[in-house]
Amino acid sequence: MTTTQAGAAAVKILIAGGFGVGKTTLVGAVSEVAPLRTEEYLTTASVGVDDLSGVDQKTTTTVALDFGRITVSPELVVYLFGTPGQERFWFMWNDLVNGALGGVVIADTRRLESSFASIDFFESRTIPFVVAINCFHGVNTRSDDEIRAALDLDPHVPMLVGDVRDRTFGRDVLLALVDHLMALPVG
Amino acid sequence: MSPYWEEDEEADDGADSMVRPYTITAGRTAPERDDFTLITLLTTVSEPVDAYGAPARPGRLQPEHRMILGRCRTPAAVAEVAADLDLPVSVTKILLGDLVEQGLLTARAPLSVARASGGADRGLLAAVREGLRRL
Repeated sequence: MTTTQAGAAAVKILIAGGFGVGKTTLVGAVSEVAPLRTEEYLTTASVGVDDLSGVDQKTTTTVALDFGRITVSPELVVYLFGTPGQERFWFMWNDLVNGALGGVVIADTRRLESSFASIDFFESRTIPFVVAINCFHGVNTRSDDEIRAALDLDPHVPMLVGDVRDRTFGRDVLLALVDHLMALPVG
Repeated sequence: MSPYWEEDEEADDGADSMVRPYTITAGRTAPERDDFTLITLLTTVSEPVDAYGAPARPGRLQPEHRMILGRCRTPAAVAEVAADLDLPVSVTKILLGDLVEQGLLTARAPLSVARASGGADRGLLAAVREGLRRL
């Protein structure tokens, strides 16, 4: 393990996808530490239609996220953040999504629809991403083209199929993201 | 004889969770500075000095402040410190702000990778790629 020096800097990659698709599993497979969990308070403001007092109704929610770390050099650390399962939380959490290098959307072929919102999210924020199709069960009955069509993926978005428990697959997914970022036009 | 507050802690295993998070911050709910992000890296200053170059004499520190100074002897991100302290990120940021203000901790902002400003630097991407290949 590389030791981080004082003055080192960090970048982050977001790991998204529907509930239970294997976000934390992928983080754990490539992280140099067991996935850590942290919490944040998020406040949503909503205006009630029958609110005569003029005071907004506010609700505070505690949202948890799991993350891991890869020290790529003494000067550079990559953090991997598994986004909270419910997208409505990360729309509120700017600190989570701002300044991300890119994202990985994990999808499960048995319920692809649970990852639609993650794809929409990255597309709407113009955060570059790759798609990792997780085959826990080892059986993938659909062709890549079928999956791409079902996810309505742009042709230039890389898609990989594998097992997120496998460190090599996790590494390949992250490498595919970096290659994708390098291939994007500057600006 | 140990002070009464230590006895209290021993008597109650669940003491941590019984303390309301903003008690630790003396009631403050927002940090003095809002430039901390989840991945701002923090490093403990080994020999802190005050504005006159004399060794710094830190003000009153909470146990959590001391834990942070211990943890950040090797650089750690805000999210890591929050996870280690088992405190919400926003509470952790307030405590970190106290320590940066006293010159006991240095903060390093994340590298800029915003697409709007040209995206990530090629050298940075190459370094990330090289590091990942060694996994």
